Amino acid sequence: MSGELNRLLALIWLSFRGSLRGSRAVGLTGFALVPSLIVAAIASGHPAAASLSSTAENLFALLTLPIVVMVILLVLSVGQFRNEIDAETLVYLSDRSVARPTIVVGKYLGSLGAALGLVIPATLIPLAVATLAGGTPYPIGVPATMTAVAVLAAAAYGGFFLFLGLVSRSALLIGLLFGFLWEELLPLLPGDVPRFTVIFYLRSLLSWELSTGPLSHFSTVVSFGASVAAPLGLGVASVVLGGIVLRYLETAPEREAG
Amino acid sequence: MTGIVDAEGVTKRYGEVLGLNGFTATFSSGITGLVGPNGAGKSTFFRLLAGQLRSDAGTLTLLGHPAWGQGEFRRRVGYCPEGAAMFDWMTGEDFVTTLLRIDGFSRTDAIERAGRAISSVGLTDARERRIRVYSKGMRQRIKLAQCIAHDPELILLDEPLNGVDPVGRASLSALLRQLSHDGHHLIVSSHVLYEVERLTDQIVMISNGRTIAEGDIHRIRDLIDARPHVIELESPDPRGLARFLGSWDHVVSIEFLGTARLRVLTRSPDAFYAALPELVVSEGITVRAVHSADDNLDAVFRYLSEGMR
Repeated sequence: MSGELNRLLALIWLSFRGSLRGSRAVGLTGFALVPSLIVAAIASGHPAAASLSSTAENLFALLTLPIVVMVILLVLSVGQFRNEIDAETLVYLSDRSVARPTIVVGKYLGSLGAALGLVIPATLIPLAVATLAGGTPYPIGVPATMTAVAVLAAAAYGGFFLFLGLVSRSALLIGLLFGFLWEELLPLLPGDVPRFTVIFYLRSLLSWELSTGPLSHFSTVVSFGASVAAPLGLGVASVVLGGIVLRYLETAPEREAG
Repeated sequence: MTGIVDAEGVTKRYGEVLGLNGFTATFSSGITGLVGPNGAGKSTFFRLLAGQLRSDAGTLTLLGHPAWGQGEFRRRVGYCPEGAAMFDWMTGEDFVTTLLRIDGFSRTDAIERAGRAISSVGLTDARERRIRVYSKGMRQRIKLAQCIAHDPELILLDEPLNGVDPVGRASLSALLRQLSHDGHHLIVSSHVLYEVERLTDQIVMISNGRTIAEGDIHRIRDLIDARPHVIELESPDPRGLARFLGSWDHVVSIEFLGTARLRVLTRSPDAFYAALPELVVSEGITVRAVHSADDNLDAVFRYLSEGMR
């Protein structure tokens, strides 16, 4: 195993473990279970089988993808660099022989892995609950597509929020504005404006893959390839830019002479 | 300049504040103490050496490489920062092992090296405890362990003895001397001169971001001792005490501060401290407290700084 790969794996493992610890992990796990709890609550009212299945799918587009996934990625990714710069722990990584872009990639993959550990259950458990509670069973394409879209969302938002945490002290605020204003309001505007959001491409991908059901009605004016490439491109570009920024970034917090 | 570390006119600004102001010094092999009062620029210098900050002017090299830069040469450098922050959720052993793995060591090698380093700082029994439950002294030790575990050629220690108890100080000082004896080069910062004196004869004194003295500590000591020192005493009978002190040749002046305090200016602090206990015993004079205004060296640094102008 080459030295740099060894270093990368150590960074991924460090970031993964650091992401899922303490009260933050408990809180995020609870938050990831919200869609499942909602489906369970609805199921307790014994709705029609088709209606229950349809509700679980709709919850993905209306709650899980735009809110649950967004919050999980925001919390896990922004702090990867921002918390360490402020706490002065980044020095233990940045004064080593490891290349700084490798640190960015390691933190990205580690935090992405941790996020997927929450995002994928948040996507699939509601479907399982709906099915077990008597809903119409889903064709395999439905959970597969929803999982793929959730993974793409995590890759895109994770990279972007990680980059924000690297370059801005107000990363959390900017991330919140991005997640809940930009991503939520712009898709409601007419014309080509929605194309400037990630969620537009994610929803488009749902429609490309699911020809029937509640998730099939989103716009498919962009191609399947573009629907995949746009969010993936944002994630990759953010990580590449992050690597360049960290290469030239002073990693000690600003302070007076000491 | 051909030192292990060479600084030539290094300047670092934090906005309007100067962290280093044309700092020039050469750090040669063995142990060199970087001594200066709080806020002198010691940590800024270390951060520049560790590649965390970039200087605004001047040149700074370590082991022949520019300080601002990454690469394999960083494996030849160990850095123990001043701050207490660490990955508190890890155990001490996990912390050191993980950082070794990030430095490119295999898992087996990392575990072996971490064990050795932790043992050398005397933390073997606590290696499996989480860092969050470590005392301040234990945190200093585990930081030192991560700094030496990869067997670096140059070791940068920013206030390494801060917060360590007296017994721990003695053992860590012995470890630092051993590291030097084994061929490592150390730069050790402190704001306490006697702490550095126990480690090395070679010091660089820094104040307000500038070098104010450099070289053999005894020569600098002579320079320091040549100026009057301020010593403050507390006694229920300050006038009685002043009568005796006034008869000593090396006492330059005595000033009364309130009803129970004296400020004495002496040309020979060593003689003063040697004679005072004898006076207390022989004359039965009560002295409640003795403070040296020069203990933290601020006054000395001011004096030396003025001498530079």
